[in-house]
Amino acid sequence: MKKVTWSLWGRKFDSPLMLASGTAGFGLELMKMGMLDGVAAVVSKATTLAPRDGNPPPRIVETGFGILNSVGLANPGVEYVVDEILPMAAGLPVPLLVNVAGEAREEFAAVVERLETSPVPMAYEVNVSCPNVAEGGKAFGASPEVVESVSRLVAGVSSRPFSVKLTPNEGDITESASAAEEGGAGAVTVSNTFLGMKLDWRTGRPALLRKVGGYSSPALLPLTVARVHLVSEAVNIPVLASGGVSGPEDVLELLAAGAAMVQVGTWLMRRPGAGSELMKGILDLISPGAE
Amino acid sequence: MSIDMPAVVLAREEVLPGIVRITMEAGDEFLEEAAPGRFIQVEAPGGIFPVLRRPFTLHRVEDGAFSILFRVKGRGTRKISEVSSGDTLRVLGPLGRGYRLAGGRWLLVGGGLGAAGFPFLAARIESGTALLGASSSDDLPDAGVADTRVATEDGSVGIRGLVTDLLPDVDWHEYSNVALCGPVAMMKAVIKAVPPGIRERIQVSTEARMGCGWGACECCSIPAAAGGYFKCCTAGPVVPAGDIDWSRWEETD
Repeated sequence: MKKVTWSLWGRKFDSPLMLASGTAGFGLELMKMGMLDGVAAVVSKATTLAPRDGNPPPRIVETGFGILNSVGLANPGVEYVVDEILPMAAGLPVPLLVNVAGEAREEFAAVVERLETSPVPMAYEVNVSCPNVAEGGKAFGASPEVVESVSRLVAGVSSRPFSVKLTPNEGDITESASAAEEGGAGAVTVSNTFLGMKLDWRTGRPALLRKVGGYSSPALLPLTVARVHLVSEAVNIPVLASGGVSGPEDVLELLAAGAAMVQVGTWLMRRPGAGSELMKGILDLISPGAE
Repeated sequence: MSIDMPAVVLAREEVLPGIVRITMEAGDEFLEEAAPGRFIQVEAPGGIFPVLRRPFTLHRVEDGAFSILFRVKGRGTRKISEVSSGDTLRVLGPLGRGYRLAGGRWLLVGGGLGAAGFPFLAARIESGTALLGASSSDDLPDAGVADTRVATEDGSVGIRGLVTDLLPDVDWHEYSNVALCGPVAMMKAVIKAVPPGIRERIQVSTEARMGCGWGACECCSIPAAAGGYFKCCTAGPVVPAGDIDWSRWEETD
């Protein structure tokens, strides 16, 4: 039986699964829990230039068919990440992509420049699409011009490949994807959480203090399949699918739609052992009876 | 080391109106890791919504079994509450940090179902007194402590009043440790009433709206005295009272 592999940037993996940014920290907790089996790579929590406390709680709320989060890129800042966290992440059994966020175009490149001093990251994911910071989400990541210029700035300082994580909320995602490719991105991540809101109609009170947050759910699958399909036809760089996975068939569907790799996020919060559970299901589906 | 396992339900009882206790079979690994104040994440059975698990403190751990005690509040707790003996629930844990089990006499101060974790704590300490506050006898759980003093708002059991009304009669010299768990406003009032000297030895079992439960998602934030936030799930749930910035901490539910 031929071993099935998936590849990204010339590397071969025996799994198509990446852990989506914000749902796995830097992978250290899952490593301690012995739950990184079946995972090809971890995408870290977003790292910004300065430390960020994040948004006031509550930061997460369940809706009828998915969750809303409002974490607000809480992170200890790139200095701490490079000095304290990445040395520990060197012990991960799988490669790490460091997710990078910023409030201004130049900030992304400044964070990457600092990360370049660490031997640990395999690559970066450039997050131009977080809906939970004032500057992110909305207009910022939606403008192809900004996406291209951030990509170009990062490409200028990075010795490593990077994926640009695109917003599903505004604009034409295929145009943003093309802009990322034009700017030198090695992949695009399609996509991020959808802007969402929950409120109590009796009182008008929103469930999150910032009112709106990022919606994620297994119910997002068809939205991601469509975007992965459209983007993969529009660009010649790999597409990393993100949004809606809750079972092995979802992963195979996203791969069939054109994804090179598939990220698991919200589902991981329910199933920390999602990597090995999903991989077992995937192998059963694509090579039944094989061991 | 935490494990994610199907746990067989041994018993399901509605111990008070709308308050359910579920007892599950525990493996050796679980029993080794179980400690008062630690918690588990339980998946709601029957479909994939709600997506997130629900966190529960360990209520009792004995005879190869563990139990949780909770009020049925929403869809997740309702689905979990509807299991029967012989069913399985998917359980992750034990998770988080529990009480630092120092010697000496303990004062256990609980508000409502904040006392849910007290029976397990009581089983692992030398001796203690429980002070419980509840709105009525209908939402007053058993703390598992022989010396239990009670205040209810309707006076249906114990004195009529709040748990803080029980504090003036406490002989603080008798106690070396305080465990505190309940609504945020109640805990703030208790801390104010505890004399300096013992106030530094209050351990608070915190609660927050939780995502993963194992330290990754940064959702269960509690304002930290040092600035910023700490994660209820991994820095806690049990923390020294002094680690919390009480002025910024509000009830979120």
